[in-house]
Amino acid sequence: MSVKVGIPRALFYYYLFPFWKAFFEYLGAEVVVSPPTNKQILNIGVKTSVDEACLPVKVYYGHVISLRDRVDLLFLPRLVSIEKKAYICPKFMGLPDMIRSTLSGLPPIIDVNFNAVKGHRAYKKTVLKLGSNFCSSLRKINRAWVEAVRHQKEFEELQTYGFSPIEALRVLQEGRKEKKKKKIFDFSHEIAVLGHGYTIYDDFLSLNTIKHLNDLGAKISTAENLPINLLEEKAEKLPKRMFWTMGKRILGAALHYLESSQIDGFVYVTVFGCGPDSVIADLTERYARRRGMPFILITLDEHSGEAGVITRLEAFVDMLARRGKHENYFSSYGKSVDICQSTS
Amino acid sequence: MKSYMGIDVGSVSTNIVLLDDKGDLIEKLYVRTNGQPINAVQKGLKKIEEKIKANGWDVEIAGVGTTGSGRKLAAVIVGADVVKNEITAHAVAAMNAVPEVQTVIEIGGQDSKIIIIRNRVVADFAMNTVCAAGTGSFLDQQAARLSLTIEKFSRMALNAQTPVRIAGRCSVFAESDMIHKQQMGHNLPDIIAGLCDALVRNHLNNVGKGKEILSPIVFQGGVAANEGMREAFRKALDAEIIIPENFEVMGAIGAALLAREKMLQNKDIKTAFKGFSTINCDLKVRGFECSECPNLCEVVEIYENLQILARWGDRCGKWTEGIQEQKNVNFN
Repeated sequence: MSVKVGIPRALFYYYLFPFWKAFFEYLGAEVVVSPPTNKQILNIGVKTSVDEACLPVKVYYGHVISLRDRVDLLFLPRLVSIEKKAYICPKFMGLPDMIRSTLSGLPPIIDVNFNAVKGHRAYKKTVLKLGSNFCSSLRKINRAWVEAVRHQKEFEELQTYGFSPIEALRVLQEGRKEKKKKKIFDFSHEIAVLGHGYTIYDDFLSLNTIKHLNDLGAKISTAENLPINLLEEKAEKLPKRMFWTMGKRILGAALHYLESSQIDGFVYVTVFGCGPDSVIADLTERYARRRGMPFILITLDEHSGEAGVITRLEAFVDMLARRGKHENYFSSYGKSVDICQSTS
Repeated sequence: MKSYMGIDVGSVSTNIVLLDDKGDLIEKLYVRTNGQPINAVQKGLKKIEEKIKANGWDVEIAGVGTTGSGRKLAAVIVGADVVKNEITAHAVAAMNAVPEVQTVIEIGGQDSKIIIIRNRVVADFAMNTVCAAGTGSFLDQQAARLSLTIEKFSRMALNAQTPVRIAGRCSVFAESDMIHKQQMGHNLPDIIAGLCDALVRNHLNNVGKGKEILSPIVFQGGVAANEGMREAFRKALDAEIIIPENFEVMGAIGAALLAREKMLQNKDIKTAFKGFSTINCDLKVRGFECSECPNLCEVVEIYENLQILARWGDRCGKWTEGIQEQKNVNFN
């Protein structure tokens, strides 16, 4: 019987899952993923995690617990860095320790250190070493690495065709061949939803923000829909290097969208207490304001009532719609012609 | 005469207005929601109907708009043509009252907002986030703690000599700060004025953060009745603060105007208004926790004369869409 490796459907699941899945499966392990976040997972997570953690970390706890009794090994890597000279949020670095010190009855944890700060080579070495726990053939481990890289690449490429990570995973799983283009429905606005992937793509956590925007007739673009090298290139223009990988990508996307005329507005989704976002969201807002880009910040916490979020999103889309309607009505002497005349 | 109704179901008050076919106000009503929005809407409609009958007005409701946090509920009960969020409704009403308005400050029972308008279009807005510090409910609560009516409380700030400094970041801190100041012997008007200053500071720093606040500035919503708050905004912004005549029902006016706009643009559609008979309907609300998946959604059901009218709260949509198959329910 193959070894069951559990991967929580939270945090880096939304960025690196295809890589890990391909890697472990190639080495003969079975990968088990926790179910999509639901109320139970959230409640358990909130109850068990340390108090000052952010919501996505709390939810991670819930996912770990939902896997606890179903797997032989838990894959809870310590992600320090996935690229040169940039880091992941500090909470990720302490994650396995935090989990271990608060939860009991856990199966053995794979908590390898991933640190690519000094370069990609070290990163690869860690992965290969991890593989040696599953298989003794170096050649096979090497091939697993190649396979994992290929899957990851395909996953990232699919996203540049407009798929969200969730959709891209589905396409990969179904192995569809005609996967190149995402069907696009009629839309009145194109909105960039910015924020950490593990927040915006977790429908439960984000209170369906993306779905609500779709329902309001908006097409969504995210940082993940842009090629990473483009994000890098745009982020280079920042006066100071952004040293968080995710933050760099979010800002890169924001700068790109500000230059292109494709996007009508920014919706930044953050969770209460997110350290990096206190800087990234604020910077994004400042750049957006400077360019006259409509911007709204949605702060989420444990509330499950969607009404507040819907009100804000609705008002935001209304604003874009009314703006569009009026855009051609600016008269040359500075006084606007009123389209709402009928109401006054 | 064709007229348009706007209903704003807020956390603290439910407001209903009636506009004539030109969009001018015929009647306005401000009732406390008291935690029972359905009751409040029915009561409000009843009062409006009585008023129409008593004055012998020849009124035909040609359109209904609802807004406020209970807008969906109100729309289902009375039958609405437009269901709009509070921000759009308030902006439309403010532009109607003060055509050249550039900034709208609105403070209600549970939320506070700032709307930036340029060239008669909403250019930007913000609402308070998770916390409701510094909104009407808090002022209500403080007035009650000091055993003052909210009207008396509101005027008292104007007698202040030297307003004290109160921490306004959080209402819990504000309250303990107020108590400290009061125990140290500061007089009440100074403390209340200090509280108003703190709330205004908090509003401008949090909700109004980074926004360009230009005159004309309109201050509306229930809290605009508070003279201390008006004065505090005037001082903080060093500008004239315009209080529209119907400041307390601006959301409802906006909803009615939007309904009017829609009905005028689509002449061939009939209003969804169910008529004043809804006040006699036996409306019941029931909530239950769906246990078919781990999400445990809290589903709300609304019954009219024991017939299911609407349902919401489920994430999967199964209950919302599955209304047809539902039978009558026993409420005993």
